[in-house]
Amino acid sequence: MPEDIAEVYRNTYPALVRFLYRKVWDAERAEDLAQEAFARALIHRPENTRGWLFVVAANMARDEARRAAREKRHLTLLKSEPDAVHSSPEEDIDAETRTLRVRAALDELTPRDREALLLWDAGMSYDEIAAQTGLARGAIGTTLARARRRLVEAYDAGLEGGQHVARG
Amino acid sequence: MSHVDEGTLHAYLDGELPSAERAALEAHLADCATCRASLAEERALLERASALLGSARPVERPAPPFEQLQRTPKPSQWRVRHAFAWAASIALALGLGYYLRNPRLAPGPAATPATVDQPVVVAADRAATERVSTHEEKRAAPARPRQPAADSLMPAPADERARAAQQRRADSAPRAEASGLGASAQPAPAGSVAPAPAAAIQARDSLALARQPLRLEEVVVTGRAAANAVASAPAPRDRSALTAWPIISRGIARSLLGADPVGLPGLATRRIRRSPGTDGMVVVEQAVDSSTVIQIFQRPASTNALSDSSGRGYYNSVQRERADRLARFVKGLRVEITGPLSADSLNRLLEQVAPLP
Repeated sequence: MPEDIAEVYRNTYPALVRFLYRKVWDAERAEDLAQEAFARALIHRPENTRGWLFVVAANMARDEARRAAREKRHLTLLKSEPDAVHSSPEEDIDAETRTLRVRAALDELTPRDREALLLWDAGMSYDEIAAQTGLARGAIGTTLARARRRLVEAYDAGLEGGQHVARG
Repeated sequence: MSHVDEGTLHAYLDGELPSAERAALEAHLADCATCRASLAEERALLERASALLGSARPVERPAPPFEQLQRTPKPSQWRVRHAFAWAASIALALGLGYYLRNPRLAPGPAATPATVDQPVVVAADRAATERVSTHEEKRAAPARPRQPAADSLMPAPADERARAAQQRRADSAPRAEASGLGASAQPAPAGSVAPAPAAAIQARDSLALARQPLRLEEVVVTGRAAANAVASAPAPRDRSALTAWPIISRGIARSLLGADPVGLPGLATRRIRRSPGTDGMVVVEQAVDSSTVIQIFQRPASTNALSDSSGRGYYNSVQRERADRLARFVKGLRVEITGPLSADSLNRLLEQVAPLP
């Protein structure tokens, strides 16, 4: 029997938005995509709603990234100016800057490590992460250990190098 | 047993190590200083990674009513908004280019490093564009002259977009402060209880957004509690042994308890779990904000929760870790509350516990 989707919606929506945000890096788009994922769940009525939602959300985020890449090429053609914002001094680190740095650091992870980390952070158990990523359950700990280490190292390296925000 | 690998340590810290392995690991840790040191290192790494991820999160807004989803399952909606946003970002990029090309319009030193010859991508993506727009917004008045350029190209969108960006920025301000506080307060010394107004504001804000606002004025979130909340982001400790507790629906919780599960009306319910034992214990996990989860343990007041051993393991470990866990009776349920907040805050939250709407 399919779970009560309204229930899952209440419990999972914030985690799904957060999960999507760390893929599309736009709060509004993350919310839109999360809502669309739930709307699709209402049509498909999957057995394991929560797991299904994260799979669908990951796929939507991937399509989204491809589209964003295409648009970026268009924008590049439009020619533009250097970005003064990027030269902000170290003391001025605000939340936005930190988000950009974390984003850059996450980009340094392999897709699989990143996925495991984001799923864990979205509140999934090792079993659920294993089911979602196809990794063996016994490998999740090692995967997360590596993902966490790379995240922290890449973040710190970004601080030293000052190249952190130039990606994207 | 040879030294423990980091994967096992992380699984242990995440509370995801099967019980047999866990026992073996704990026995080994008791004897092996090297592995204890590794464990401390991995724990620090894990907490640091959680804090970093926690600082990169969207402003949490309440979920739109579920019924609204049911009525409008239209993918077109966000595509339209997306296309529109793209158009707006081009307009912004052009407007910015115009603005930077006219040095006499530049109001301050912030715009002077604009060396026009370098071919660099500015509006590489929307996030970057938004950053630019909000920075522009800060020096709004002198920056006015750029508006006509943007307006003539794309009048309404640019305007609305900017307003939305500004609005979002306003929304995110208290949260940004709070996460800044978390990062700087990470090595907070044990006894420090500096008041953290930012965190209090943050908590109040997220509550104010909810449908049934909770009166949180009296709740004092101390600096230490706030630092804990961010540093241990999705609180691995809280979810450790708890993962053995199956997630259940509200309906099942109701039938187990013989009454509606209780919690803090106005806070988002993350999940409801039941004890793996037969003690009828149910725990409602609610988010004060995206990184602070409180747990509200409840069971019918008539049963003895400690009669069952499988539930007791977790229960006792919580008791050990949280001497400040508090209890109260609500509508025939015995209710206890725990979370990464001060005993005082928890106590006040406990007073407001009521059957969930």
